[in-house]
Amino acid sequence: METSQMQKPLLGGKLSDESFITVFMVGVLIVVFGIACIFVPNFYKPQNMLNLITNNWYIIVLGIGITFVMITGNYDMSVGGNIALTGVLSVYFCQGVNVSQNPLANGLGLPYILAIGLALLCAMGVGAVNAFFIAKLKVPSIIVTLGTMMLARGAAQVITQGAQRNTSLPDAFGVLGSLGIPGTSIRLPVLVMIALIILAFIFEKKTVFARRIYLIGANPVAARLSGVNVGGYLTALYIVSGLLAGITGILLASEFEAGVSNRAMGYEFDALVIVLLGGISITGGFGSVLGMFVGAIILSVVTSAATGMLFSPDWQFTLKAIVTFIAILTQRFALDKRKG
Amino acid sequence: MQPTENVLEIRDLVKDFPGVRAVDNVSFDIKRNTVHCLVGENGAGKSTLIKILTGVYDRTSGRILLNGEEYNPRNPRDAKQQGMSTLFQELNVVDQLTVEENLTLGMEDTTFGFTRKTDKINRMVGVLNSIEPSIKPRQLVSSLSVAQKQIVEISRAVAAESDIIIMDEPTAAISESEIARLFNIIKGLREKNVTVIYISHRLDEIFELGDYVTVLRDGKHIETKPVAEIQDRSELIKMMIGKTVFEQYTPREIDCPDTILEVKHLSNHRLNDISFDVSAGEIVGFYGLVGAGKTELARAIYGADNYEGEIVFKGQKLRPSPEKAIAAGIALVPEERRSQGLFTILTIRGNVPVMNMAKISRKGFINDATERKVTSEYVDKLKIATNSVEKEASKLSGGNQQKVVLSKCLFADADLLMLDEPTRGIDVGAKSEIYNLIRQLSREGKTIIIFSSELPEVMNICDSIYLMYDGNLKSTMRNGCDVNSESILHIVTGGE
Amino acid sequence: MDSITTGVSSKEQPNVTTILKESTILQMDRSATLRANIKRFYIYIVLVLIVLVFSLMKLDQVTFFERGHFLSPDSIINLLRSAVPILTLSGAFTLLMISGYIDLSVGSAMSLAAVVFAWLILNGFSFLPAFVITLILGAILGSLNGYLVMKLRITPVIATLVTLSLFKGIALLIVPDGSSAIKGSAEKVMPAWINDYARKDVLLGLPWAFWVAVLVILLLVIVQRKTLLGKYATAIGGNRIAADLSGINAVRIVGLLYVMVGFFAALAGMARASYMSLGDPLSGDGMELDCIIAVLLGGTAFSGGEGSVAKTVVGALIIICVTIGLMTVIPAYWQTMAKGGVLVAAVTLNHLLVREKAKA
Repeated sequence: METSQMQKPLLGGKLSDESFITVFMVGVLIVVFGIACIFVPNFYKPQNMLNLITNNWYIIVLGIGITFVMITGNYDMSVGGNIALTGVLSVYFCQGVNVSQNPLANGLGLPYILAIGLALLCAMGVGAVNAFFIAKLKVPSIIVTLGTMMLARGAAQVITQGAQRNTSLPDAFGVLGSLGIPGTSIRLPVLVMIALIILAFIFEKKTVFARRIYLIGANPVAARLSGVNVGGYLTALYIVSGLLAGITGILLASEFEAGVSNRAMGYEFDALVIVLLGGISITGGFGSVLGMFVGAIILSVVTSAATGMLFSPDWQFTLKAIVTFIAILTQRFALDKRKG
Repeated sequence: MQPTENVLEIRDLVKDFPGVRAVDNVSFDIKRNTVHCLVGENGAGKSTLIKILTGVYDRTSGRILLNGEEYNPRNPRDAKQQGMSTLFQELNVVDQLTVEENLTLGMEDTTFGFTRKTDKINRMVGVLNSIEPSIKPRQLVSSLSVAQKQIVEISRAVAAESDIIIMDEPTAAISESEIARLFNIIKGLREKNVTVIYISHRLDEIFELGDYVTVLRDGKHIETKPVAEIQDRSELIKMMIGKTVFEQYTPREIDCPDTILEVKHLSNHRLNDISFDVSAGEIVGFYGLVGAGKTELARAIYGADNYEGEIVFKGQKLRPSPEKAIAAGIALVPEERRSQGLFTILTIRGNVPVMNMAKISRKGFINDATERKVTSEYVDKLKIATNSVEKEASKLSGGNQQKVVLSKCLFADADLLMLDEPTRGIDVGAKSEIYNLIRQLSREGKTIIIFSSELPEVMNICDSIYLMYDGNLKSTMRNGCDVNSESILHIVTGGE
Repeated sequence: MDSITTGVSSKEQPNVTTILKESTILQMDRSATLRANIKRFYIYIVLVLIVLVFSLMKLDQVTFFERGHFLSPDSIINLLRSAVPILTLSGAFTLLMISGYIDLSVGSAMSLAAVVFAWLILNGFSFLPAFVITLILGAILGSLNGYLVMKLRITPVIATLVTLSLFKGIALLIVPDGSSAIKGSAEKVMPAWINDYARKDVLLGLPWAFWVAVLVILLLVIVQRKTLLGKYATAIGGNRIAADLSGINAVRIVGLLYVMVGFFAALAGMARASYMSLGDPLSGDGMELDCIIAVLLGGTAFSGGEGSVAKTVVGALIIICVTIGLMTVIPAYWQTMAKGGVLVAAVTLNHLLVREKAKA
């Protein structure tokens, strides 16, 4: 018994299952990229490769929060609505007071910094509402976060009367979204994304906090008996996920110099897809930020290659669905093979 | 067809687990239409035997004849179809359906998918009525008590014409008056052509109910005889314990007589006004049978369950939360090690330090080198058989998984270590390793509370022995030569 | 001998406490009955209250109701007509949730069915063949969900979220580029009779689609109460181990429920297409949330095992009243938030009523 259990995994002996899946998905990425290069002209060009990452900064930022939430075995579908809400609020808070007959041009006239701060607080508030229902009332996270998704999106629609706010903004408003490294396509949001990914990676590998997140996902009962305050950690995670959505919302609003109530429709689904592509398991305790990052690039390669191959944009929903199913099933197959 | 005299014949039955022979060449017969009791201490092989009979485990070797024919169930469902029904401790009724619907579940007559009122239902309801008329067929099962749910299950088994109903500690969770009712029903089953295999730790029940009793000890068959031929409890107790000489406990002085833990009037759904003190450096053993409330007491002290009353540790009132308990210096090795103590999908390194992250981290950042080092230390200290600390816990053997959980709790550096069934399911060698470890910890000044349903264990290493029965603390005593295993068994089986 | 006597005496003693216990049980029973009654009737009270509130409101600047009265016959007919899709769909959805599973793809399945149905009619199919083909399509969509969840064992939420995207994607692909829906154009005229199913008055001012929905509800109430399928759904959701031990094939039962949900989603989608005279690939968006709200208001437990098709229908009527009632008093851009609020309120109510009982 003892000796038979000593045998090494068949594939990638030294790696943990998590790293194995990440490496596996990197392999998939290379294959997909190779195929795309064959069929799509100019796909291999450095500028295009760079775009694959930079064009998806917002999904990756969201994906960081979703990754950790999902490692605990929960969902957060409220991020898309939260982005819209935060963007709209950041506009509303700093629009001038009584500048026009048009109600959509009038705001609270706060300084931009304060407006951002308040908007971020609201974003975290949405996370806190999620946490209350999930951690305190033990309601399934999917149902709660679908509800707060609508609440946040709905609040954004109310504030913009179903449209958008984009007038009488202070000059500072557009700065965050337009700053960038001169001569490149790299703008501040992309740098924020890179910084957050690095932070999240260090957080995941090095901190006690992250370790406890894995404990909760791996075995919530044992985690509680080992002294982990499960409710507290879930609360913190949902608030962070809200905060990340808030940051995304503010950056997007700044980039477009507008608070649009229909911004970020379906982003929660894209974030879920890249997390699944990255091998994070909803059964909990398993997955990594790096995997999510790889997943994001795979999705980006697939969708942009499809566009390059002159598929109509209508293909994106179908394509994402098929890619996700293939990913779930091949990952499972690979893990089973590895376990023998 | 002439029914055989023996409904069940077990011949040379063997079941091996890695490192342990749980059932060792057991042979005995069960006579038709009797109540046949199965007794033995924990680890005697009762539950393994039952799991073989119900198709949960495959036997290693041996034969079982049911009604004179080879009996070899593939799974519990198959066993049930062949006439072997079981009353599991987790009841298998559907709360949201009515009594009638539960009786027929999986055996309905239908026309085009519509459930039909047929004679079968009437017959089944008739069986229920003849057993317990107070249960109405249209009642929702969720409105029934545990005992009534058991009766529904018994009726279902009788109506399905089971030859044998196995009852595993059916009285563990029901009240005294309900027990009397249940016993009348069980006695009546003989006339309904049903044989009952009855497992209980409460010896009085055996005298009240049983026709025959089979005693198992250490996986071996000791005796099968009519209950009428047994003189009294002590004869039964002697058969259960055998001539085992306990490893001698040496009475010792406790260096530091300060009280470290005071429990005052602790009550909850399974505990009844429990008060006691524990001195620092002492090894205390709570002994009681399955269902006596030991696990519940351990969980309450640890703050994992709610309670009324007060727990004072080192002079401070404890707030009920495991997090606070650990911070105060208490650690618990839970009873269900795998499901409540272990993170199976994480590595050994991911498991060992979780209860004391402060020790391997600074300002919230984990020091990998320290983590690896301390994990290796525990792997060496507890002799965990693995080639690397990076091995996934799920890939370890059962005994080694237990050691990982134990390491986890030791690493918490607690002043009070509580162990719930510390040696359950591990072999003799590993047992004595654990006993030595407990003694050593005690010498280092730790206070230890053991919750155990194995008497030799308690008598072997504990300074004080506290006896529990049915959620009550019945008696406390200092360990020593005047402690008598027979009188202890008398108390914990419900005697006064 | 000694032991037997002690055994008896120890049995006599607790009788006193038993009596005491029984009297407290009676008291607890009373409060439990009260709670059970609240649980049984609250949904009807909520519906009546909502109708009352909207009837008492001044509805002058209203466009939806011709006479401006919430309770005028015309308004009621309007209300019931717009309730057709959710009435058609929520019954099967309830059965699935009773068995402890969920289908988030219903809205997309509805859209896809609407698009396919409109496409078939636009391309010369007569009503009945188009109707049957679309229903078969719905059953196929449902069986795909069933296969993913029950055979491939993908978590229900994830599997059906992904098929949500899949069905929606296919619906969008069917719609020609540059158009937002399948509809009549200069070259191809959408037959006017596509409207008949969901608009033409056949009885009491209500169209076929409504009466079909009523029939579906009746059918599913009977399925839940009288058939093996309803009973097994409860058993699977209530105690999976007991269901398995009793020989119930959960894969087959839940698989069938998924097929039913897909089937009725298609039926609902056709009602929508007929009502709008076009196949809109977004027409079913958000239907999964309406269904969840209806089911939760109806008191179905999240974890399965408990629930009632009939009460879900009342829940569905509540949502429709709220949505349409609110449309008459506040601007349309409040809709999403109101619905989100109703969902959160439904979750809370459900928690208070269903969970409390589970604890006791």
